[in-house]
Amino acid sequence: MSSRIADPSLAAEGHRRIDWARRRSPVLDGYVRERLGTTLLRGVRVAVVVHLEAKTAFLATVLADAGAHVVAAGSNPWTTRDDVAAALAERGVEVHSSRRSTMEVWEEDLAAVAGTDPEYVIDDGAELTVRMARDHPERFARLRGVSEETTTGVARLRALGDLGRLPFPAIAANDAACKHLFDNRYGTGQSTIQAVLQLTNLRLPGKRLAIVGYGWVGRGIAAYAHALGARVVAVETDPIRGLEALTDGHDVADLRTALAGADLVITATGGLRAIGPEHVAHLRAGTILANAGHHDLEIDVPAIREASRAVSEPRPGVARFELGSDRPVYVLSDGALVNIAGGLGHPVEIMDLSFAVQAMGLHTLVSRDLAPGVHDLPPEVDRAIAAAKLASRGVHLDPPTPEHADTLTGLLELDTLRRES
Amino acid sequence: MSREAIDFARSFMPALAAAAEVARSSGALAGRRVGVALTLEPKTACLVEALADVGAEVAVLGNAWSTKPTVVDALRDAGRFVTRDADELIDRDVELLADDGAVVTRRLHDQRRDRLPHLRGVAEETTSGVRPLRNMAAAGQLAVPVVAVNDARTKLLFDNVYGTGQSVVMAVLDATNMQMAGARVVVVGYGKVGRGIAAMARAVGGRVTVAEVDPVAALAAHHDGLEVAPLADAVVDADFVLTATGIGHTVTAEHLARLPDGAIVAVGGMGRPEVDLSDVELGEEVRPHVRAARAAGGPTVFVVADGRCANTTAGEGNPIEVMDLSLALQLRALDHLARYPLPPGVHLLPPEIDAEVAAAQLRFAGIAIDAPTDAQRTWASSW
Repeated sequence: MSSRIADPSLAAEGHRRIDWARRRSPVLDGYVRERLGTTLLRGVRVAVVVHLEAKTAFLATVLADAGAHVVAAGSNPWTTRDDVAAALAERGVEVHSSRRSTMEVWEEDLAAVAGTDPEYVIDDGAELTVRMARDHPERFARLRGVSEETTTGVARLRALGDLGRLPFPAIAANDAACKHLFDNRYGTGQSTIQAVLQLTNLRLPGKRLAIVGYGWVGRGIAAYAHALGARVVAVETDPIRGLEALTDGHDVADLRTALAGADLVITATGGLRAIGPEHVAHLRAGTILANAGHHDLEIDVPAIREASRAVSEPRPGVARFELGSDRPVYVLSDGALVNIAGGLGHPVEIMDLSFAVQAMGLHTLVSRDLAPGVHDLPPEVDRAIAAAKLASRGVHLDPPTPEHADTLTGLLELDTLRRES
Repeated sequence: MSREAIDFARSFMPALAAAAEVARSSGALAGRRVGVALTLEPKTACLVEALADVGAEVAVLGNAWSTKPTVVDALRDAGRFVTRDADELIDRDVELLADDGAVVTRRLHDQRRDRLPHLRGVAEETTSGVRPLRNMAAAGQLAVPVVAVNDARTKLLFDNVYGTGQSVVMAVLDATNMQMAGARVVVVGYGKVGRGIAAMARAVGGRVTVAEVDPVAALAAHHDGLEVAPLADAVVDADFVLTATGIGHTVTAEHLARLPDGAIVAVGGMGRPEVDLSDVELGEEVRPHVRAARAAGGPTVFVVADGRCANTTAGEGNPIEVMDLSLALQLRALDHLARYPLPPGVHLLPPEIDAEVAAAQLRFAGIAIDAPTDAQRTWASSW
């Protein structure tokens, strides 16, 4: 079947973008290519359903170069780059995606990908996997494995497993250290701050930032903002994370107190309605609100709209809600993930790591005989990816030696203990 | 969108609003022909409008590459004269001038002396402009009083450090989609701008090396915990080279040839002359604002904004709140020049004006500070 893309004539710019991603992706372009070789994936049907822009396209290219038959679509109806999609199609990958497609067209694209009978899926939010389970049960039953990108998707796969409806092995790529320690923390940290500043042209030093949610994403945003001169107040419901935020040098407060003093509010809970209708009255005039979590409804934008006298768009991606006489608040990118909807997404170097994890997740699924269920990436593979990244930066570590290990045998040998104490 | 973008900016500019109140009550700018030759975008548009509000007859010069066309339209719709030709601005017989890089002031002295007699004073925005103006004054060639807005504490400590620091680093990251954490960043020049860029680059995880020619500045970088090395050595493993010297020929083809393949070069100082691209083969634009470049015998590196100021060309320039301070100082300087006859030469803004501008922004942020007591004042003025 042929591709469905917006405009093949955009390919030249798409190739330039993919080449830029390749240049900054030494792990995918080196270590991963080497490990995949030319035989393991030959003729294997792989669906790649991740936000379809240059970095994802380079992952698809690497898999195709290793011999896989790759079919690609976006994991979101809004985030595909048409130039990249065109270039990827020109590189022989079957693509079903266009930017700003309707939900219906996006569903058709995912159905078209399912229709190619993939054996393996590189998924984001488990969007394709869940649809295949629901709409294409016989094709779902033929799936041989899934490697999943996000916290949300991993939770969905585990839920399928709990229902006894996961008849194949899945790799929780998100849970690999080389994914969440870097992507969720540094990637989202840098790119969220970048997007907020780019959308507003405001100054960060001296700003009071309320970060709602102190998981990996919240930690990263708080760390970057603090380092750049903002004063951070963290809002949590979990006492351990609250204590961690306090120990990291941030203020910690309940949401209403935090909102009352904030110039900038960023949500990163991964849940829904962290900022709901009951909080609108507590927002200060001029507050900027942005979301860095998975759900578009983490800030209840409809509730803010409801409470507003007037709405306008003073700058692209900045909505102004007039809550009262001269009491505006601003919401960025309609409450969607601000770093992707209002920026360039993660830095290339971060996605080099995340997609190396995904590609090695696929490698693991194809080369090892895993039982059905959700698996972690083997820790030695995780470490090998980090070592490859370090090596690309010219950094080489000492190997651990047996003499350094505090082993059980050592503990039981009295002489050793006496000498050391 | 532009009218609203200007309004958005104004809502974060309390110091400019306070300065406009002062200028309104002085009345000194009413009816004056004022030229504004600053990078033209929503923030400077707020200064233009504030000047018009206090009765000045404003003419605006925007340069070709950093002027936002929608802002030009919005200002023209409001009845302002806007041109991209410095001579057209000069032809308006401007009496007072807000200049950037001393571009118009130098042109008046060098090529357009016919119109120089109309000029009563200049407020200069940048380090790069104050330097040639001081040189002109020292040579006895400066015909008008100049207020070095750039040298005001409320300008230098904020615009040059935090403003340019944030905006240059963010513009480079926006243009390249790259990560700075773990990257080697060479900052060339450790004046106020270099300090800001180095601090912001380090804050986002960069490993910073400073190259300097001034031992005092280099020693300061050393005390700030940064590596210091000669540029030719520092570039060898650089991922980013960010220049902030304000001096032409800072980075040359020889430096570019020593960079690792794929390194990024961007200017945060005065613009094009800092990176000398005359002996460099320029390739295609691989992404918006990012062009491949190759010096003889060297690798492919990438130059942001063709060597122009990265923050104003590939981004929107300094943040709004920072320009609030700088533009409030500009307005106060123009008001000061209109009120008091100063002799030709480069003058500092009176320190109390500086303090008033800073106080306006503190007030807006809800921050109170102490006033010195009588006992403290007495002590401070005793000997």
